[in-house]
Amino acid sequence: MVKDKTKLYDKLLNYALPIILGIMILGVIIIEPSFVSIKNFTNILSQASTRAILAMGVAGLIVLQGTDLSAGRILGLSAIVSASLLQDINYAARMYPNLEQLPLIVPFLIAIGIGVFFTLINGFGVAKLKLHAFIITLGTQLIAYGAALIYIDRPPLGAQPIAGLDERYTNLVKGAFKIGNIEIPYLIIYAAIIAVIMYFVWNKTKLGKNMFAIGGNPEAAAVSGVNLTKNIMYVYLIAGILYGIAGFLEAARIGSATSITGQNYELDAIAACVVGGVSFSGGVGTIPGVLIGSIILQFINYGLNFIQVNPYLQIIVKGLIIIVAVSIDVRKYIEKK
Amino acid sequence: MKKLITVLVVVAMLTTMLGGCSSKPATSSEDLEIGVLIYKYDDTYISTVRQALEAEADGHANATLLMNDSQNDQSKQNDQIDILIEKNVDALIVNIVDIGAAKTVIDKAKAADIPVVFFNREPDAEVIKTYDKARFVGTKPEEAGIIQGEMMAEVWNEGKYDRNNDEVMQYVMLKGDADNPEAIARTEYSVKTLNEKGVKTEELGLQVANWDNDKANQAMEAWMAKDGDKIEFVIANNDGMASGAISALQNAGYNKGDADKYIPVFGVDATDEAKNLIEKGEMTGTVKQDGEGMAKAVFALALNAANKKEFIEGTDYKYDESDIAVRIPYQAYK
Amino acid sequence: MSEEKYLLEMVNISKEFPGVKALDNVSLRLKKGTVHALMGENGAGKSTLMKCLFGIYKEDSGEIFVNGVKMHFDNPKQALENGISMVHQELNQVMQRDVMDNILLGRYPQKGIIVDQKEMYEYTKKVFDDLGIDVDPKAKLGKLPVSARQMVEIAKAVSYDAKILVLDEPTSSLTQQEVDHLFRIINLLRDRGCGIIYISHKIEEILRISDEVTVMRDGKWISTKPADELTNEKIISLMVGRELTQRFPAKTNVPKDVILEVKNLTGKYQPNIKDISFDLRKGEILGVSGLVGSKRTELLETIFGIASYSEGEIRLNGKAIRNKDSTDAIKNGFALLTEERRATGIFGGLNVRFNSIIANIDRYSKHGVLNNKKTKDDTNWVIDSMSVKTPSQNTLMRSLSGGNQQKVIIGRWLLTEPEVLLLDEPTRGIDVGAKYEIYQLIIDLANRDKGIIFVSSEMPELLGICDRIMVMSNGRIAGIEDTKDLDQEKIMTLAAKYL
Repeated sequence: MVKDKTKLYDKLLNYALPIILGIMILGVIIIEPSFVSIKNFTNILSQASTRAILAMGVAGLIVLQGTDLSAGRILGLSAIVSASLLQDINYAARMYPNLEQLPLIVPFLIAIGIGVFFTLINGFGVAKLKLHAFIITLGTQLIAYGAALIYIDRPPLGAQPIAGLDERYTNLVKGAFKIGNIEIPYLIIYAAIIAVIMYFVWNKTKLGKNMFAIGGNPEAAAVSGVNLTKNIMYVYLIAGILYGIAGFLEAARIGSATSITGQNYELDAIAACVVGGVSFSGGVGTIPGVLIGSIILQFINYGLNFIQVNPYLQIIVKGLIIIVAVSIDVRKYIEKK
Repeated sequence: MKKLITVLVVVAMLTTMLGGCSSKPATSSEDLEIGVLIYKYDDTYISTVRQALEAEADGHANATLLMNDSQNDQSKQNDQIDILIEKNVDALIVNIVDIGAAKTVIDKAKAADIPVVFFNREPDAEVIKTYDKARFVGTKPEEAGIIQGEMMAEVWNEGKYDRNNDEVMQYVMLKGDADNPEAIARTEYSVKTLNEKGVKTEELGLQVANWDNDKANQAMEAWMAKDGDKIEFVIANNDGMASGAISALQNAGYNKGDADKYIPVFGVDATDEAKNLIEKGEMTGTVKQDGEGMAKAVFALALNAANKKEFIEGTDYKYDESDIAVRIPYQAYK
Repeated sequence: MSEEKYLLEMVNISKEFPGVKALDNVSLRLKKGTVHALMGENGAGKSTLMKCLFGIYKEDSGEIFVNGVKMHFDNPKQALENGISMVHQELNQVMQRDVMDNILLGRYPQKGIIVDQKEMYEYTKKVFDDLGIDVDPKAKLGKLPVSARQMVEIAKAVSYDAKILVLDEPTSSLTQQEVDHLFRIINLLRDRGCGIIYISHKIEEILRISDEVTVMRDGKWISTKPADELTNEKIISLMVGRELTQRFPAKTNVPKDVILEVKNLTGKYQPNIKDISFDLRKGEILGVSGLVGSKRTELLETIFGIASYSEGEIRLNGKAIRNKDSTDAIKNGFALLTEERRATGIFGGLNVRFNSIIANIDRYSKHGVLNNKKTKDDTNWVIDSMSVKTPSQNTLMRSLSGGNQQKVIIGRWLLTEPEVLLLDEPTRGIDVGAKYEIYQLIIDLANRDKGIIFVSSEMPELLGICDRIMVMSNGRIAGIEDTKDLDQEKIMTLAAKYL
């Protein structure tokens, strides 16, 4: 009897996150039955896409017992640079008036390059200089922000939003497949592809296994001959690639980039990770968890708005839900004395 | 187990309650819903406009506003617009976060055939013109700067404030934001107007203080430490920064009522705090944005559009030379 | 080089830490196909010597030869690559991952860029089958009992095909059957020509399994002899190096009335702690002995209120009490000296004064503000009465030696004026000389009518200073006897009673 009870409890705990999401969806539907629509569904998923991509990058660093405060600003800088290189050639206020129309792949790769540049600094700081991730990423957060301001505020135009984006670019990001009456935004597909790749990296490759080992017990990994520096650097490298991609997509999704693009995104990403069961003590986390975490957070934004909760209350509810979700989730790991 | 269920129930209840108490009553088919997107709820000036807007809507029983706080995040605003479109609102009132994103906003509205009234933060006229159901209500950004400049020229010409008697105005500038057009225009035109009025100027310092009281205060402290005896005028893009600068001046012994130790400070917005400071003689002047007038105009245009009428039909408002913008004038406040 | 073929030679290794000569010209020679026992008390330098071998520490002088070739390793990985592997005493394992992930950590088989899970499973299964270990390769490591984890760790070390295998206290949490199993594995490896360095405290095991025995004491090499020339007594006298009577101060304390009664105590989340009943007198030192995993620490935590119990009763001076948490316990007159001094006892980065007064902070503060003079006076009392060797009250705790740190912590608890002291391995990692002072302190405390429970893994010290010894086995009491009726052998027999 007692055993059955604990078993049920364990099972419920294991599925706590989907259950929470389900309850929230149900709540919104009860209040506003018109919420049930495919469009709402695809809206939430596509809005969660860039954030989920960012969160998947941050998640690896949290698995390594680290964190990343610079993710949002790095995304911002990538977004600004991508946008500046992909302004419509007929747009009057171009940042580079004489720039030819570039193939999309060039700015895409540059955005990734920017992401990787910063995360490799972070990785170096953590793996070699032995700085806590909080410190080094706090530093690079400021550096990336400063770089974005310098980049954006210069002659001939001075500081102004980078808008008038090339249609090829916006179509690539904001377009959608049509299957009958249903539109599936490309963004969802991009995020899905990246999720599959990340799932593969985390679960099927040596790097993924090493990442969990280092995050779980760095000493054990070192004694077993795992090269900590190299593996940590790789995890940061992957994060940088994802930040770059997310930045590239985000600029077109918003339709413009400014110095505030990406501000505080890292906090949403970290929240998505912890809500999704990535443990701050390291060594624990899954890609599906991160995805669910991102969707839960986006659902909170979307659902509360949909049922017209007072905007200030929305922020409080979001805070409460993060606390509740994580405190239920950690029950799985707490050892009782 | 019990605990878990309790927690889940609490979450469900919270969600339901919060939604329940603010969900609107069922609307009949004739009722109109207008989606409102505010760039940032806790902006001093915009919050007065927002409240005026809500008061205006209360006077029209058949129109409901769906309010949204975009928290200074364009990405969030885009998401909120998606939601409002999905809710099939009759018109949108948009106080855009990032004017560069106006095209994206217009594309979304256009695809759903919903009219849009932008206000306060001004997108490029060319972009607005791409959609025949888009309009703008706002001020002329340069006007605030011009009025500020005129006020300052007047004060300067009293002749009391040229501390080093070199007939050049040494000033410091507190700029609101690096890439905000209002900030850029105010910064540029206040000085330009001074010069046009024959006042020679010299800039001792410029700081982007993000419209923020505290950041302005820090900048002013630093300037006072460095050039305390040289600064003759303080120009701020808004009153929040002006008040931050004043408290720094007061720390250094200025603007406390002693006429000999007074550095004129100018802001924009005419907030209650600024009016109070001016009354006490600690601040010199500000420029009043007519928030209520702005709200009235925005609501009138949106209501017309929601009723599928021309935006300014039956009102006293007129478009300026662009044919898509209605301008609300600024006033000097001394 | 001698003509005999040595697998491993460590010659004249010396290593000095600030203030301590940890290794002083130590040599160790391991022959092919033999088990070489390395013995010595805690702090004798066994672990330090092994850490020099694996490149975790760098020796100050001396040379290492592997198969006659001079070698030096910078890290454990290089040692592994050269066929030297080790099972560490503190298991270095990733609890969150499964068994096969741990076995193959750092050398996952790959198919292209994919880690070959099937191959991992089969490999692990093969290694386990080969060694007769019955553990599911897919089980999550953190969910396995300690003994299974220890077998996994041993299997992992063996699976490197190491020619030289170091086992550091491998049987500390194994049952008798498991020890037999381990010995079969060791014999198998010996027959294959491997050399095994076997570090253990358990003399009987050593005599049973090893070919040669090297004894170390205080960082020095003492002797290396064939096992069949040695006896229990000889090894002890080599390890201790002097008469037992000199190691302990005179016992002057006299047990009086009962102060603490524990009746039928059973742990709530540690159901292994079962039906514990004993009493403790004022002025008495009650030793607690048992194997690793016998739940001695957990028992102290349960009494102190850090761990909860589902059944049973604790009476202090005849009155029933229940410590809900450590604050309660301190209020009721208990003090707990924790086993992991570094992790849960000291604040290394803070000074001696802070470390002295922290458990008693309420007494010095009025409205949250500390009374400086009082804290200084009390810290002086700690330093004087515990004879702590420290330059000043402001010296950082971590710059004191282990013995002096321990004295500060005992002093800290005395400031709370406890009636019952729970001491968990108070002499671990402390020099032999300093141990004597700690023993003297404990006896002095007993003379002041404190009741003392003294948990230790070192039987000689229990036999040396306790009035009675309680032996625990698998969470239960296997016996409580007067010290004069006990010896090491009897304790060991009792310790295995409920395995």
